[in-house]
Amino acid sequence: MKKQPSYLAVSVAISAAVAIGATLAASPAFAQSVDTARIEAGGQNDWLTYHGSYKSYHYSPLAQINTGNVANLSVAWIHIPGRSTRGLQSTPLVADGVLYYTGSYSRVFALNGSTGEVIWSYFPELDEGLIARQTHSPYNRGVAIGDGKVYVGTMDGRLIALDMKTGKVAWDTKLIDSQKLTVGFTGAPLFAKGTVVIGAQGGEWPGRGPIFGVDAATGKKKWEFLTVAGTDDAMKTWGSDSWRTGGGGGWMPGTYDTDTNTVLWGTANPAPLYDWSGADFKTQGARPGDNLYTSSVIALDVDTGKLKSFHQELPHDAWDFDSAVGEFLMLDRDGQKLVVHPNKSGYIFVYDRNLAVKNVWRITQNSNFVKNIDPKTGELIGRRDFAAGKVEEPLCPHISGGVSWNSGSYNPKTGLYYKLGQEWCMTLDVMKTTPIVAPQAQLNIGANFKIAPPPSGEIYGHLDARDPVTGAKKWEVRFPEPPLASVLSTGGNLVFVPDSRGTVHAYDADSGTELWNHSDGTGHQGGIISYSAGGKQYVAVVAGFGGMASDDYAPTFGGVYKSMPRDDGALIVYSLK
Amino acid sequence: MKTLHVMKLDLLPRAVLAAVLTCAMPAWAQQPAPGAPDNAPFDAEQLFASTCGWCHSDGGRAAGKGPQLMGTSKSDDFIRERIKNGKPGAMPAFDGALSDAQIDAIVKYIRSLKPQQG
Repeated sequence: MKKQPSYLAVSVAISAAVAIGATLAASPAFAQSVDTARIEAGGQNDWLTYHGSYKSYHYSPLAQINTGNVANLSVAWIHIPGRSTRGLQSTPLVADGVLYYTGSYSRVFALNGSTGEVIWSYFPELDEGLIARQTHSPYNRGVAIGDGKVYVGTMDGRLIALDMKTGKVAWDTKLIDSQKLTVGFTGAPLFAKGTVVIGAQGGEWPGRGPIFGVDAATGKKKWEFLTVAGTDDAMKTWGSDSWRTGGGGGWMPGTYDTDTNTVLWGTANPAPLYDWSGADFKTQGARPGDNLYTSSVIALDVDTGKLKSFHQELPHDAWDFDSAVGEFLMLDRDGQKLVVHPNKSGYIFVYDRNLAVKNVWRITQNSNFVKNIDPKTGELIGRRDFAAGKVEEPLCPHISGGVSWNSGSYNPKTGLYYKLGQEWCMTLDVMKTTPIVAPQAQLNIGANFKIAPPPSGEIYGHLDARDPVTGAKKWEVRFPEPPLASVLSTGGNLVFVPDSRGTVHAYDADSGTELWNHSDGTGHQGGIISYSAGGKQYVAVVAGFGGMASDDYAPTFGGVYKSMPRDDGALIVYSLK
Repeated sequence: MKTLHVMKLDLLPRAVLAAVLTCAMPAWAQQPAPGAPDNAPFDAEQLFASTCGWCHSDGGRAAGKGPQLMGTSKSDDFIRERIKNGKPGAMPAFDGALSDAQIDAIVKYIRSLKPQQG
């Protein structure tokens, strides 16, 4: 606990390039432990889980920063994590004035929330050769906290627990044979009731996309649920033994329903992304059948991992519009307990707590992969299933989706859901590829394609303020390029949007009027939160561009993106002057 | 089915190829041996679409996340090395995932690229 200047400590940590748990500055009081009840309650001053609380609102009730004084918001401190290959994509957490966040390569930092001073840092020693073979890597999207530990996944298939006060490794559990399957973990874990839940990457990587429950105290694996053919019934939905390499996964954290002891999770797409089956997808093509439980929302018992209920949002997903978005808004509306989950396609599903469909609405203007989705049943109407060859009418939305994997924000004071939509399409040439029947260390995409503008004109993005259940729109703000980051709303009646060019905007939550903006110097594609430390409210946002969606921006939009680095990033924290 | 997996570097017209493959492959009858050996015949165009096409748009004909490959001034050796070793933060290394023969075939595929008709 020797106190040293934080810059020196970081330098030492980098040069060592091995696992480090360096305790540095005197830390703020670790007043209370973080447990399930505390995460459920949310807390005025903290941000205790990826989605803010189990309600997943990405909302802070803090109102010190508000519409009347947001013009005085300025940078309080900055932290540079280093080695930000493909930018920064994580969402920080805060407990009792300490901010925890990750950089690329699963670097973990605990910082004094008031000053940015490094309390401890931890850089896991990773299989760099494996990481060099991965496409969706080496970014990391955050940690979970609970029971005195900080939990982080790695791209080489491990889940690591660190002592919350010191950063020392409590346990380090290998969950995936990443050398064989190539995939690992980039998403944040979820802590609930003594269990840490984390889902594997997957999708276009041939595998079976497991989701794991791990004992928070010991690191011992409690259960594993396979999103590809994880039950006998599901096995019947994969013809030609395609379940062996079906893809799937659950690479973003979902949430926990304390009433039913259930984990809600979104699953990724089947492989290959694009199937040549045509309309006969039940019996033809690379993966004949509905391909359960890919592109689905699933409810798992947190103690056993047993499947309790599910809804497959896109049976036989032929477009890579998966359900991996981890956002599950838990709403109480007119005596009903509802769950709102955005599908990557831009359709927003509203469920009851057993995942029975209550409504479906769409946030995008440009969408033609189906004609519609039945709002009563969730059934796809007029789906486009492609045969091999060039697809005449461009497919909308683009493979980067109608919404990002990042999250919107629900403000219980306004009753509005602030969510970004993306308007773009793609030309597509579906290939009849050689069936892959054993996991291999390569992708399984099945098409050539190129980003294209929508029929209505130019590519753009938009922030919508909508009723989360009906989809009724109150206002909209447009952006010349789709913002890819998460959204924050606050009790100060503000909505914050970090955009792709690198500017953070603050809007009036009732009207959408822009009240403040500030450049962070590079594009955003991660989280934004608010917290209080020492009686002062802060807004923390990660900046740093690069990744599967943002890598398309330079060739597509040119301009500022041509010179924007894809190996840099910073955590920037704002407060009132 | 295996007999169709020849080195298709002369690029049959796509529609003809699709028709041939469709006729030749009965539903649910696709059972190639797991883990194709290094010397197995394969189709470079398929391989590119499976593995490379997300980043090298339009089959390598246009810039995307990765550069346009059609008409590249890079040497065969440079391309081979880049496929094998990748570029940190920009392109994965495919050494180990792809055999030397597969990498050679991809180089030939890149050299054969021409603008799409229509």
